[in-house]
Amino acid sequence: MKVIDWVDERLDLSGVRHFVADKGVPVHAQKIWYYLGGMTLFLFGVQVFTGILLLLYYRPSATEAYESVQFIVTEVQFGWLIRNLHSWSANLLIGLAFAHFFSVFLLKSYRKPRELTWVSGILLLFLMLGFGFSGYLLPWNELAFFATKVGTGIAGAVPLVGRFALRLLRGGDDVTGATLSRFYGLHVAVLPALTTALVALHLLFVQRQGMSVPIGVERKLKPGEHLPQMPFFPNYVLRDVLAWYVVVAVLAALAAFYPWELGTKADPFAPVPAGIRPEWYFLAMFHTLKLVPSHVLGIEGEHLGVVAFGLAALFLVLVPFLDRRASRGEPSRLFTLLAVLGLLYLVSFTIIGHYAR
Amino acid sequence: MKGGPMLMSDASSAAQPVDSRTGVSPGPALAGLCVLLVLLIRTHPLYAQSPPPAANGCVACHASQTDSRLATPAALFTQPDVHRESGFACVDCHGGSASSSDAARAHAAAQGFQGQPAGQALVATCARCHSDASFMRRYAPKQRVDQATEYAASVHGQQLANGDLKVATCSSCHNAHGIRRISDAKSPVFPTNVANTCAVCHTDTTRMASYTLPGGGALPTHQLADYQKSVHYAALTKGNDLSAPTCNDCHGNHGAAPPGVGAVTNVCGTCHAVFAQKFAASVHQPIFDKGCVECHGNHAVVKPSDQMLSAASGGACAACHTAGDASDKGTAAAVAMRTGIERLKTGIDDSDALIRRIKNAGIEVSDEQLALREAGTKLTLARTEMHGFEVGPVEAILADGMKVVEAVGRAGQEGVAELRFRRRGLAVSLGAILIFVVALGFKIRQIDRRSGTRRASL
Repeated sequence: MKVIDWVDERLDLSGVRHFVADKGVPVHAQKIWYYLGGMTLFLFGVQVFTGILLLLYYRPSATEAYESVQFIVTEVQFGWLIRNLHSWSANLLIGLAFAHFFSVFLLKSYRKPRELTWVSGILLLFLMLGFGFSGYLLPWNELAFFATKVGTGIAGAVPLVGRFALRLLRGGDDVTGATLSRFYGLHVAVLPALTTALVALHLLFVQRQGMSVPIGVERKLKPGEHLPQMPFFPNYVLRDVLAWYVVVAVLAALAAFYPWELGTKADPFAPVPAGIRPEWYFLAMFHTLKLVPSHVLGIEGEHLGVVAFGLAALFLVLVPFLDRRASRGEPSRLFTLLAVLGLLYLVSFTIIGHYAR
Repeated sequence: MKGGPMLMSDASSAAQPVDSRTGVSPGPALAGLCVLLVLLIRTHPLYAQSPPPAANGCVACHASQTDSRLATPAALFTQPDVHRESGFACVDCHGGSASSSDAARAHAAAQGFQGQPAGQALVATCARCHSDASFMRRYAPKQRVDQATEYAASVHGQQLANGDLKVATCSSCHNAHGIRRISDAKSPVFPTNVANTCAVCHTDTTRMASYTLPGGGALPTHQLADYQKSVHYAALTKGNDLSAPTCNDCHGNHGAAPPGVGAVTNVCGTCHAVFAQKFAASVHQPIFDKGCVECHGNHAVVKPSDQMLSAASGGACAACHTAGDASDKGTAAAVAMRTGIERLKTGIDDSDALIRRIKNAGIEVSDEQLALREAGTKLTLARTEMHGFEVGPVEAILADGMKVVEAVGRAGQEGVAELRFRRRGLAVSLGAILIFVVALGFKIRQIDRRSGTRRASL
């Protein structure tokens, strides 16, 4: 306590103290969803920590990347654990980020005044997908190499700027060591910088505005009635910590029992191996593009698909501004239906894409 | 006739009499008229739209014949044909005049017409160009020009020289018209088609009835059926390995003949050089008249197996050696080599299974997998060395292989221990986390009770 008193004397922490003492978290039947954001944030911390450790040994070049990861998992003390934690944590993070996204969507927590929190959250989700896409190539193994070829090829199908985007991503016409260098730069510098700024903004909004209460719960309250509140500190924080420990247990079990395979080193001259597919979180999009006919009304199908996904992403960003009923605090069945349909689409197409040849 | 290629390659030359042969010089006015006529035809718009003109007058006339014996050669000649594509015409082989519309004059002996050459005449017709190095250099400079000489030395050529007109000549294998390059997959002498081409005659029991083997036995007609069971046929047709042997690779093509006694090892050795070398220095070399064929057969060369190395029933040694006979040195050698090979095989399989198991559990085993490949190489080397039929060198190679296998086995056991350590560590960590989570749960309940928000528990 002496340290806090010492700092308090110099910086006057009374504002922070009051904020922590006064902050409460609404208590209701759906409050379990509040923990998803904290768990996602915790996994991001795991990613940063394990990522920095991996950086100590990883070498971002086509000739050394695979061997350096091999060295990490065989020679470095607990290197296997760090790499497995990083890989599993990345997947759990994206899974939890999607769960957080759908919970917020279905509970309409994006409604006024939390539009900016939603926008920053959606952008963070996109950044997480960018982390996944760029990180997948870094071990420079066969599957990642060819999946990146396919993935960057899809970026090349964006109308007007596709060719430019493809060359920008690949650092040339094909996936080479130049692509690896770019993806490495994105993965360890550009994306972390953007994510840190957006996470800070997202948390600031959440702390400033407090937790959103679902419309249904809010409408059941009688005039003048208030929801019971749980003190943020220590009651809610300890629950958050408990959830993080559960995540750590799951991560450790996955890392030990389902280690992430390294595969074989990428060989640009080798034939494309069978069953090339992206990571699970891109499967739905990948499978959809496979199903789109080659031409629709004279327009190239792949272009159409990519534009459709671009519009869907834009729609997601604009949801709080489009859902007028929710912003008035009224039930919004249309957007609930859209969220449910979106969830069904993602789950079903991911499963179909996984089993499709 | 060798001047043939200049003859009928275009309409202008088709319109010219073969003055170089007759020595009769056409008048300049007639020549000028011909050139003018050709130019007029060629510049007419209809000419550009119509299909290219027939290669020569023979084709134009023969194509309209109702007798298929006359029409078919003309039709075939207009299909892909290496000679037509190089500018040759019918008269280059058959003689006669392509410019005469009168059948009698076109086919006049005075015009050099020789009809359908057969037997020695056919070989001579082909050899006129194909045995002339300076002529062939103008069309296929890398092509050999000794086919006729080889053919004369072949069983086919010798039989033909003896007056047997049933034997194969050039056109039997290459066709007479519509001759494709040998690199054309549709050519009857393309590697994948050779066996069927030879089989046209060699599976014909009636045709083969009058022929015998050098030893006097009847010439069999089941070579194709046997060959189709072989590892060579599988490599050629299923493995798409065009270097895999077919009939001509062992028997020769133009000089086709069965490899003689004592020559089989040399023939097999053209591909299987190391095996042939080991066998040549072996104790079996002076004994095995048929060389490799003694154990592996000839046309039906099936995939060899370690089971062949046995004097027991089903083994290749059983034909000469007795299983269980302690005084039989050959049997003892076979048992020793086979036992060593089986031991190494089992060691590789066991180590591979162990390595796969720990790989699936997340232990990196690239080095061990590489080492196992080296052990596999030793196994292959031992199988090769076995063709020298000396136990010592085989056992030395097998011992090297076993050292590698044992090292991999040790690394595998270390991997298993590492796995056990990881799982124990995980169990301890999970236990600690569980205790902490339970303790935290109690603490939260206590705090909730104190702050009056009991209802807010999870």
